Amino acid sequence: MASYILRRVLVTIPVMGIVALFVFSLLYIAPGDPAAVIAGDQASPADVERIRQSLGLDQPFLVQFGGWLWRILHFDLGTSIFTNLPVTSLIAQRIEPTLSLMMLTLALTLVIAVPLGVIAAWKAGSLIDRVIMAFAVSAFSLPVFVVGYILAYVFALELEWFPVQGYTPLADGFWPWLQSLVLPTIALGSVYIALIARITRASMLEVLQQDYIRTGRAKGLGQPSILFIHALKNAAVPIVTVIGIGVALLIGGAVVTESVFAIPGVGRLTVDAILRRDYPVIQGIVLMFSFLYTLVNLMVDVTYTLIDPRIRY
Amino acid sequence: MDRRTVLKGLAGAGALAATGGLPMPAISQGAAARTLRFVPQADLANFDPVWTTQYVVRNAAVLVWETLYGVDEKLQPQRQMVESEEVSSDGLTWTFKLRSGLKFHDGEPVRAKDVVASLTRWSNRDSMGLMLKAIQNELTAVDDKTFKWVLKKPYPKMLLALGKNNTPCAFIMPERIAQTDPFKQINEYVGSGPMKFVRSEWVPGARSAFEKFADYVPRQEKNSFFAGGKQMLFDRIEWVVIPDPATASAALQSGEVDWWENPLPDLVPVLKKNRNINVDIADPLGNIGSFRMNHTHPPFDDVKARRAVLTAMNQEDYMRALVGDDTSLWKPLPGFFTPNTPLYTEEGGEILKMRNLDAAKKLLAESGYANQPVSCIVAQDQVITKAQGDVTADLLKRMGMNVDFVATDWGTVGTRRAQKAPHNQGGWEMFHTWHAGADCINPAVYIAIRANGDKAWYGWPNSPAVENEVTAWFDAKTLEEEKAAVARLNKAALEDVVYAPTGFFLSYTAWRKNVSGIVKGPVPFFWGVSKTA
Amino acid sequence: MSASATNSAAVPPGLAIARQLPDLMQPVKVRRGVLGFLRNNPTVAIGAALLLCLMLIGIFAPYLGTVDPTAIAPAKRMRPPSELYWFGTDALGRDVYSRVMFGARVSLTVGLSVALLATLAGLAIGLVSGFVRWADAIIMRIMDGLMSIPPILLAVALMALTRGSVRNVIMSITIAEIPRVSRLVRGVVLSLREQPYVDAAIASGTRMPMIILRHILPNTLAPLLVQATYVCASAMIVEAILSFIGAGTPPTIPSWGNIMAEGRALWQVKPFLVFFPAAFLSITVLAVNLVGDGLRDALDPRMAKDL
Repeated sequence: MASYILRRVLVTIPVMGIVALFVFSLLYIAPGDPAAVIAGDQASPADVERIRQSLGLDQPFLVQFGGWLWRILHFDLGTSIFTNLPVTSLIAQRIEPTLSLMMLTLALTLVIAVPLGVIAAWKAGSLIDRVIMAFAVSAFSLPVFVVGYILAYVFALELEWFPVQGYTPLADGFWPWLQSLVLPTIALGSVYIALIARITRASMLEVLQQDYIRTGRAKGLGQPSILFIHALKNAAVPIVTVIGIGVALLIGGAVVTESVFAIPGVGRLTVDAILRRDYPVIQGIVLMFSFLYTLVNLMVDVTYTLIDPRIRY
Repeated sequence: MDRRTVLKGLAGAGALAATGGLPMPAISQGAAARTLRFVPQADLANFDPVWTTQYVVRNAAVLVWETLYGVDEKLQPQRQMVESEEVSSDGLTWTFKLRSGLKFHDGEPVRAKDVVASLTRWSNRDSMGLMLKAIQNELTAVDDKTFKWVLKKPYPKMLLALGKNNTPCAFIMPERIAQTDPFKQINEYVGSGPMKFVRSEWVPGARSAFEKFADYVPRQEKNSFFAGGKQMLFDRIEWVVIPDPATASAALQSGEVDWWENPLPDLVPVLKKNRNINVDIADPLGNIGSFRMNHTHPPFDDVKARRAVLTAMNQEDYMRALVGDDTSLWKPLPGFFTPNTPLYTEEGGEILKMRNLDAAKKLLAESGYANQPVSCIVAQDQVITKAQGDVTADLLKRMGMNVDFVATDWGTVGTRRAQKAPHNQGGWEMFHTWHAGADCINPAVYIAIRANGDKAWYGWPNSPAVENEVTAWFDAKTLEEEKAAVARLNKAALEDVVYAPTGFFLSYTAWRKNVSGIVKGPVPFFWGVSKTA
Repeated sequence: MSASATNSAAVPPGLAIARQLPDLMQPVKVRRGVLGFLRNNPTVAIGAALLLCLMLIGIFAPYLGTVDPTAIAPAKRMRPPSELYWFGTDALGRDVYSRVMFGARVSLTVGLSVALLATLAGLAIGLVSGFVRWADAIIMRIMDGLMSIPPILLAVALMALTRGSVRNVIMSITIAEIPRVSRLVRGVVLSLREQPYVDAAIASGTRMPMIILRHILPNTLAPLLVQATYVCASAMIVEAILSFIGAGTPPTIPSWGNIMAEGRALWQVKPFLVFFPAAFLSITVLAVNLVGDGLRDALDPRMAKDL
């Protein structure tokens, strides 16, 4: 087990190297020039060329990539072309809102979706099941920004229960922090609650057909015990998979939510950097995401072994 | 959430239970009245106003740095940092004396050597500065308070060059910062303006903060745009970046921000109906929409093809698409210069009033257009270019041209428009942009009107007639001569179709009723503005 | 003691003919064919019917009372829904109803193509990964790598490299979805291959392709189908999000995502700009999900045995 983890961690490095090369090349070939955008609309072509040279953008590909890789190994993610600030500090400034949003959303999703899915599977075919699934499906069908706008309009503008936009750091107090995140979390979470509830239900349905469940019932085990201890543990493999994958999806949704609610997070930073061709920032963020996902996937794989003893490596 | 967060949260929750957890930060009434929260037109991603020509950077820079002169409401340069100036009888030697009491934010006094270094850096980037550099003999500091600029030829527009508000402005920075290479960004933001830039709170893409500079001594005269005394009545100004217009509108309505620089015209009716919000025209000088054609290869290398497009186009379509149904917000522009300015002219503008599709098709045929594809690159992430692009695509289709609509982003447009090649080799035939009206008031600041072939702006129009009139304007000695030169320039530029103006449009600005002192102008002016709680 | 009058055979003395017991188990009417299947599974029926309607709308859009969806008329912009403009007009004066009808084409094409391509590719990769142990490590690392790249980045880069087009949108979303599908398949395969019946099959000499076909595939089908419908629905929503940030289908081709993105800033004043495409998108996603759920219930091999 420990050797498995060690092997996985070691393999991470070449994976991230491949990702880095891939992203670096993509941006290199893609047209769209940060020098032109920086120079501004009134600049002349000669100005743009001079700016490009001063940024080192005219050097050959391998030289640029090699230099970048060397700096990465020293934990220097480079300097943003646009803001002249170190990429690490740009990301550090913006990571708290995004992480807060994602963790809160994940927590909310698990707390609501898994029980909903379990209940729906238990009462499969009944009215409760249909209601839960109907809710799940409709929450799932609306794009995140539509949900976000509706929530902002009703709860923030009209009822004034929550702020319309912005993010209050945790350091400024727990309640303001929570309040600034409630609406975005619900908007972002609506989709994932629906997804996890459905997968939970599907998975639980499979498990509930098993003989050992019937045996447990025959033995007189209480329904909650059967559902949550025996059935859920066995149904967990696809659920955990989807949760792990869900983290990836949360980033995409977070970009939209951060845009709608003007939350200064990493998602928006990414989109801004892409549209401006701010190469160092894009590369730094992708590396960071890549590291995060690999970590998450490792945890998912380890969790497989914990919950399903049949899976051996 | 982990245990630590929960514990911290519980402690925080206990402490804040009394405040009821309001969404606003818990600051006192008085402090709230001395902080202004402003939503700028774009994000402040970098902060070197000489290195970049972005408007938003200039708008923030005027808080932190000052110029030697500043233009007033009539766009005439007035003394700002300078106490007096003298020009020799032959017009070649300019001697300037600085005001006393000028200090930088780091406590150092402003010295002539700082000015010399700043002007040297600026003159490497600005068009008027480059002209000065070309005829410069020497630019030196005479003593701590005096500096002189000796030229080889007279330059009557010196004060305008030093005081203009068109980017890049001649901001005065400490010598050590001004010695940065003009093509690299500065990374220290110290100036002598009424506010200090709070570097530690700057989150590019999200917010910036400015704090009042206690040692700033405003001039005695009444304030008028960039001239006169800049009275700063706020302790703090926060720039809150909200890219989504619907969210910004909601934030203004709920009082989470105080002033929105550039509300979307279609959202203005909602804001106007709100009892707590004032809406007014932001800048009477407005903006001029434009699209530019590539003069270096077919089909638009033939003037007939260019004139065909002008013959067919309907500026009303463009303006409605841009700013909506409020006709007080736009007017047709039969020329290139900003309405309501001294040099405005409609000479030669009949072609823009024709809107004759058949005549256009005829002209197009005469130019020898043989249905080759015309690539029109349109940035989708800028509201103005996107709206114009849609209208143009439709126009060209109706003219019977083979349109290749390339929907892309502003960054790609920025690169692609620098290519002279035809579109199948990475170039373009047409792209859209716009100019602030303040940048179109005279040929000195108006890069887009120049037609000197390869040295011209993207599109590379080549018209000796236009260039002659530009020189004539520079040499003009009286306003009458200037007007005559510009009128001829306008006519020549329209005959050659240097670019196609799509119309003149104004934009709004919106602020909450408890904010007073907001004036119309080319930039949002923060001095003289105050807020009641 | 009641004797059946129809029974003419002699009843041996001392015996009685039992009463006819009521039929506790009604004979299950076996419905055959596609129609029978649909009647057995109403969710699939409703979902499929909705989906069919929407596809017909997309195909026959030019004949549904629409005008050119790209024709601008700035003089008639922002009109609310009326008799003339059933869904109103947008910021450039284009008829929203026509745009929504034509938009069905793009959104459905994107959704269905991505679902098909991603499912096929993910299935293949997941099966290989689950069975061939040495390939598992390599493949999963590549999938990890792919998953680390935000789909937005991929889409914008592709769009900038070539052109904003439906094909590029499909490709980038597919590439982003494949890792998830393959991971799911792999997870199921991993837990299934330790099952005793798989061991038994291997022990009895069944070849691997047969094992996959007869034992593994039927069990992956249910979660895979659910996942496929999710992929289809999510692809349609991702397309909307890509248009939201300006990296989606080009504006010359109306798609529901496009229409919403253009109208989103104004939804407080002109909600119809977002409402109609949002409604159609939601209904389509709903239909897809209904089909998926229903198919899942129908195809589950264990539930089928319970009939």
